[in-house]
Amino acid sequence: MSSVIWYLYEFAKKAWIDKFTTAKSEKEIMDKPDRFRDFPQVTKENCISCGACTAACPTPSAIKLIRNTDATINEILTFPEIDNSICIRCGFCSEVCPSIPKTITCGENHEITEEFQIIPTEIKYVIDDYLCIRCKKCTKVCPVDAIEEQDNKLRINQKKCINCGKCTKVCPVKGSLKIIYVNNVEEQKQVIKLITNTLESVVEENEYQFKDLDKNSIFRMQIPIKPLKDKCLEIINMEDLVQDLLEKMIDRLNLRVITWDMDKCNNCRLCVAECPSSAITYNKNDGVQRDIDKCLRCSICYQTCPFYVVKFYNVRFLIEDDVILITVQSSQLSRS
Amino acid sequence: MLDSLKDVIRKSSIHVCLINTGGCNGCDIEVVALLSPRYDLEQYGIYVHNNPREADVLLITGPVTEQWKENLRRIYTKTPEPKIVVTLGSCPVSGDVFNQEGGCVYAPVSDFIPVDAEVPGCPPRPSEILESILSVAPGAIATKGRQRK
Repeated sequence: MSSVIWYLYEFAKKAWIDKFTTAKSEKEIMDKPDRFRDFPQVTKENCISCGACTAACPTPSAIKLIRNTDATINEILTFPEIDNSICIRCGFCSEVCPSIPKTITCGENHEITEEFQIIPTEIKYVIDDYLCIRCKKCTKVCPVDAIEEQDNKLRINQKKCINCGKCTKVCPVKGSLKIIYVNNVEEQKQVIKLITNTLESVVEENEYQFKDLDKNSIFRMQIPIKPLKDKCLEIINMEDLVQDLLEKMIDRLNLRVITWDMDKCNNCRLCVAECPSSAITYNKNDGVQRDIDKCLRCSICYQTCPFYVVKFYNVRFLIEDDVILITVQSSQLSRS
Repeated sequence: MLDSLKDVIRKSSIHVCLINTGGCNGCDIEVVALLSPRYDLEQYGIYVHNNPREADVLLITGPVTEQWKENLRRIYTKTPEPKIVVTLGSCPVSGDVFNQEGGCVYAPVSDFIPVDAEVPGCPPRPSEILESILSVAPGAIATKGRQRK
C-alpha cells in the first residue's frame, strides 16, 4: 500500500504530467549546430559555368548545370541546380568552385582555400648539399618542420614549405641555402650570360697588366659593381633578384680566361685538330681563327701550342661592398 | 465517438518498423541516435521494433538491391492497415552514391511499394527525422484509418 502511495505521490507532480502530455525535445537539441553543413546554396549570378562542381560531386546527377531561359532577362544565366533528394551534403562542390566570390556556399567548406600552390610562387628554397655543414639551425627555426633529414642530408620538403625565408637568415654558410626564383627563367639565363661575358671581357682587356705573370705570383685588381648591376636591371627590373643572382654568380666563380696573341702564331695548325669542340678553324686567308662562342675553355690549345700564342689564366672573383675583387693567377698546367 | 477515440490512440502510439534495403547503415545509425536519451523518440509514443506485423509506419532506408525487390513487397503486404511508408535518406529516392554506372540497385522504392513521405539527406539529422515524422505520421495514420472505412 505504501508503494502505491509513493507512486501516486511521484507521478502526480505537475511538471511530470505536463511533460507526459506535451512531450517535446529541448529546443537546443532540435536546433542545427552553428557549423552544420546543410544543403549547398547557389548564388546564380556568380557562376562561370565551368562545371567543376558537377565533376567533383560524388553522386551522379546531384548537380546539373542548367540555363536560365527567362525571357525577361537579356543575359542568359547558366548556373548549377542541386537536387536535394540526391545531394549528400559533402560540400565538395563548394570546395572546388573557382569563381570569386563562390557560387556555391555550403557550411564552411566554401572558405577552404588551398594551403600551398602546386606551381610555386616566385621563390623556392633549396639546400645545396655540397655547401651544407649540417648544423641543423634551419630545422630548429622552421615553423612548419619542412626541413627533413634523409640519409644524413638535409632537404626542404616543398609541399610543406611556406616560403617564409627564416632558414636563410640563420644559415651560417653563405650560399648553402639557395633562393630560387621560379619565374622568368629565360631572363635569368640572360643575366647570367651577361655577368660571365662582361667579367671575362674585363679580364681580357686588362691582360697587358699581367702578361708576364709568373706561375707563383698573383695579380689583383678591382672593378665597381654598379655598371654591371645597371645592365642586369635593364633585363630584369627586380632589385632583389638581380642582387641575389650577382652574389650567387660572382662569389666562388672560377673563370678560365684564354687569350690569344695572334702575332706569335705561325699557322702550324696543331691546335686545330686537338680542339674538342672544333672552335678553332683554319683557312688560307685568315689563318687560324678561334670562335669564342664555341670555345669550351678546356685549355687543350694552351697545352698544345708550341709558340706561346695561347695564354690561360685562372681568375677568381669576390663581391666586397660595391666592388668586385678580381684575382688572376697564371695557369699551373704543364705544357707539352 | 469511436472514430475520434481511434484517432487519439493512433496519433499517440506509433509503431515503426525499420527496413534497410541494402544501404550503408548511415541512416540506421541516425535512427538509433533518435532512440537515445538526447532525442528520446519514445516520449512521443513512437516505438521502433523490427516487426512488420505490428507496425504502423514502415521506415525504409537504402536503395533496393536485387534480393530486396521481392521481400520488400512481402513485408509491405504483411503490414496491417492503416500503414504509411516513409523513406529515410537519399538512397530510397534516387539511389544516391550507389546509383553509379554498372551499379545494381533498383531505386526508387516507389517503383515497388507506394511511398507516403520522403526525408532527404545523406544521412538526415536525427532532429530532421524527428521533425518530419512528428509533422506527418500521426495525422497521416489517423486520416488513412478513416479512409479505410
